Amino acid sequence: MTAKMMEPLVEAIVIGDCTQSLDLARNLCDTGISAKEIVVNGIEVAMAQLDEKCTMEQFNLLEIMLTGRAAMEVMKYLFPSGEMVTARKGTIVLAVLEGDVHDIGKNILKMILIANGYQVVDCGKNCPIERLLDVIEKEKPLAIGLSGLIFPVIPMVKQVKEQMQARGIYVPKIMVGGAALKQSSMENLNVDFLAETAFDSVNYLEQLSGGESNE
Amino acid sequence: MNSLERISAVLKFETPDRVPVIPQIFGLAGVMARIPVDEYVRDGFILAECQIKAVKKYGYDAVFSVMDTSLEAEAVGAILEYKKDMYPTMKTYAIPDTGMIDHLVLPDPNEAGRMPEMLKALKILRSEFGDEHLVVGCVMGPLTIATQLLGMEKALYLAIDEPGVFIKLLDFCTEIAIEFGLAQIHAGAHLPLVFDPSASPAVVPPQFFREIELPQLQKLCKTFAEAGSIANWLHIAGPSASILPFYPSIGVDIVNIDYYVTPQQAAEMLPDMCLDGNIKSLSFIEDRPEEIAAKSSELLDSFESRGGFILSSGCEIPPQSRPENIAAMVNATKERG
Repeated sequence: MTAKMMEPLVEAIVIGDCTQSLDLARNLCDTGISAKEIVVNGIEVAMAQLDEKCTMEQFNLLEIMLTGRAAMEVMKYLFPSGEMVTARKGTIVLAVLEGDVHDIGKNILKMILIANGYQVVDCGKNCPIERLLDVIEKEKPLAIGLSGLIFPVIPMVKQVKEQMQARGIYVPKIMVGGAALKQSSMENLNVDFLAETAFDSVNYLEQLSGGESNE
Repeated sequence: MNSLERISAVLKFETPDRVPVIPQIFGLAGVMARIPVDEYVRDGFILAECQIKAVKKYGYDAVFSVMDTSLEAEAVGAILEYKKDMYPTMKTYAIPDTGMIDHLVLPDPNEAGRMPEMLKALKILRSEFGDEHLVVGCVMGPLTIATQLLGMEKALYLAIDEPGVFIKLLDFCTEIAIEFGLAQIHAGAHLPLVFDPSASPAVVPPQFFREIELPQLQKLCKTFAEAGSIANWLHIAGPSASILPFYPSIGVDIVNIDYYVTPQQAAEMLPDMCLDGNIKSLSFIEDRPEEIAAKSSELLDSFESRGGFILSSGCEIPPQSRPENIAAMVNATKERG
């Protein structure tokens, strides 16, 4: 299977054309290409191209949403039962903490992570720290991702690492992003990574996981 | 010079007695008067009283009748959740089904939701300050109203999947903003600030802004100017550098720049337009007054020879901010003269 065969699918996903992406994925499957190959050489390549395109000045939600939606539609087609057998790089827990109900940033990161081979456990928005800690204790994720659009959430983010330590549970890496949190610093927030864009988070995770499959 | 004369001078690139300073204080005015934010955004009388107290205490140049980004959506039918000391959040969107777009009813600013409270606040503020201080109302930009009516994801997907339906929705949103803005001007606002966070290049690409939002903003600005607004003030936060070149064609007079855009960038792109900004909002919570004073000074230096500048924050000064930082910012302009 050559990269050339994947090119049209990669292009269709990058421009966010859902219908064309699905048609092309179907054709590839019909020619005997496996779902895993389509994910690794199609969806993930498309995501990498979008990452290159999205500098801080050019990053915008709309383009990411369209690409994310096309990628998710292809994933749903490839894995109709919802079982993401491609989630091989580790588990990431995502949340928007209590007091903040803006979850678009988290949802976008979720799409990008899934499309890049991570398993995502989504704690949703307005999530109390206690619930987040319960999930961390159970899932033992590679990292957690917190998104925050409004300033009142900052004091809560600052507490997360301390509360994990106080409870004596496994402490994963903490990465954060979102309009309010981006104005602060890693030291101030007591976190391990501060992302300007969703792709920064993915690149950080690639370093943590070594980009390696856990299979 | 009084505040309004000072602002009029910088709009014309004339030399004021000192650089105008307008900290963007909304809910913080309530907090400083020990009024919970949720109460502040629901009562025009309280809002006006708090604004009056704040401006009298700190001596800056404008007062705002600004509630929150969901006010227009609530007037159309959205249900908001009010929690103590917080801005309201969306509970149920006004348009759960895009099929409703053909049947939307324009809200009457004198009756719908909290619109009358906001108009009440403007009447009080204008009656208090006359033409002494700038009295600022606020409408959300059309794209922001659309995202508040449908939800961000649904609205943006609609724009791509069914552009015709989306434009119909956007036309409706522009009508809301026009009707509400005109009512604000009639109630006493010197100008309605056009606040359009969803039009930020962080949300939509510049081409989308140029093709979809710009014509709506042109219509809005033209209508407000004809109705007697003393200036059109456009506030799009975030990394707005890529859309600044479009501003002159919109009919904007005052351009808000957030901390992402450097003064040099903005001045180069918009040599003839009045700029306001751009201290980072979080700095007002976390920095010490000396740091705010230093940042203010740096901005004043940047614009000293150019003029056409209003010292301000890049976006709202959050309700959790330290009040002494407001004083530091205001004093920075007064000490310089």
